[in-house]
Amino acid sequence: ESPAAAAFGGGVKFGVAHVRVALPRLYGRVPSSSHRAAVRTGSGRFLFTSVCLRIVGSGEQPPKFTPPSKPVIIDKTQTVASLRKFLSPEFIPPRQRTDPFKFFIERKDMIRRRKVLGVPEFYVGSILAVTMADPNASGKTNRFVGICIQRGGKGLGATFVLRNIIDNQGVEICYELYNPRIQKIDVLKLEKRLDDNLMYLRDALPEYSTVDPETKPVPFCSTGEVPVNKIKVKMRPKPWSKRWERPKFNIQGIRFDLALSPEQMERAQKWAQPWQEYDMLKEYDSSKLEEQILSEVQQVMSK
Amino acid sequence: MRLALQLLISHGRVARRMGLGPESRINMLRNILTGLVRHERIETTLARADEVRFYAEKLIDYAKKGDTDEKAMKMASFWLTEKDLVPKLFKVLAPRFETQSNGYTRLARIPNRQNLDRAKMAVLEYKGNPFPPLYPAKKENELTIINQLLKGYREERAQQLSVKV
Repeated sequence: ESPAAAAFGGGVKFGVAHVRVALPRLYGRVPSSSHRAAVRTGSGRFLFTSVCLRIVGSGEQPPKFTPPSKPVIIDKTQTVASLRKFLSPEFIPPRQRTDPFKFFIERKDMIRRRKVLGVPEFYVGSILAVTMADPNASGKTNRFVGICIQRGGKGLGATFVLRNIIDNQGVEICYELYNPRIQKIDVLKLEKRLDDNLMYLRDALPEYSTVDPETKPVPFCSTGEVPVNKIKVKMRPKPWSKRWERPKFNIQGIRFDLALSPEQMERAQKWAQPWQEYDMLKEYDSSKLEEQILSEVQQVMSK
Repeated sequence: MRLALQLLISHGRVARRMGLGPESRINMLRNILTGLVRHERIETTLARADEVRFYAEKLIDYAKKGDTDEKAMKMASFWLTEKDLVPKLFKVLAPRFETQSNGYTRLARIPNRQNLDRAKMAVLEYKGNPFPPLYPAKKENELTIINQLLKGYREERAQQLSVKV
């Protein structure tokens, strides 16, 4: 007990501030330095207050009661607004002949909706919880938790598909992002996967798309890169809904070596189109457009 | 004639269908583009010239990134089937068009093919080549009647202004 107390003699305030929050909520999840110290010394809070008293009471005079400084409560579970530059993909107009003015008007409506409903940053592979108004449900709301397997649509018609397995039955719900019935979108776990489309989870073993509806949100870093989950899924035996081994899908997240023989994989390469990547006509470089739209969106959102 | 890429895109169709399929089309355009980079002025059918024109301009755009750029090098080595042309692209053509941002090529119609199928023919060239110009250069002649009248008008005007001041 004493070496720990000596080590923490100077930083009592700091220790209390963190332990209070970190102990009940993040126990065993985030290996922060304050957390580790608390585990070492056992019941952290009691110890620290007693240390505080002993330091003050070392003189002869009966010490004046000095109340411990008020702990600064940092709630790490609260989702902070993302600090990284992120533009939701539905803002980028598709490459087509449609008048750009149409997309401009849609952007205005999208921003107006976003000011009411905080649409968080999420990617395919993130685990989301969507609360939606449902007149037939008890409490008039319906909450669905699942893994986002696809994002589609541009402009106001943007959608995302959540998948989960409930009572051994795969359930997929396609939500419209700007649907006024959506009341809340929570990101329970922010991560990317190896692919931009996880529709192959339909043909994978059910354990890969099962999410516990009672999952607590995992705190995530609001700066830096989004973590990529490099998991590779095992598939059910063929036939699959699509021939995922074909090169046009270019799927990285499947253990093909367990499902297919090398000959089958070689045969799938018959459909490869290696010249496609050199065809400059097919390139759509939206980086400039993206920057322009991002600054426009940030400007309007900050008003 | 292609005004802008956006105008051409309709239902995802951005290119002419030519050759025996998509791969054949790309290979054909590769061969034509290699010829264009080697000779700087070539003569083909109008459709092929128009199709290869886009790739010729994009290739210069890539070449401007420099030969240290990985993507540019990959593109150059794919599109130029004769590898001795890769240094020419980066060392000769890219510096030539440094001041321009587009319009590196010129397309001109020539009379239809007479011997085979009367196909529309065209000449495609990179600008700034050493050949004689495709179009006759405009001569500025001081002695034409209109130029003389304009000259007189300007002089008269200058006189009037100086009198006023």
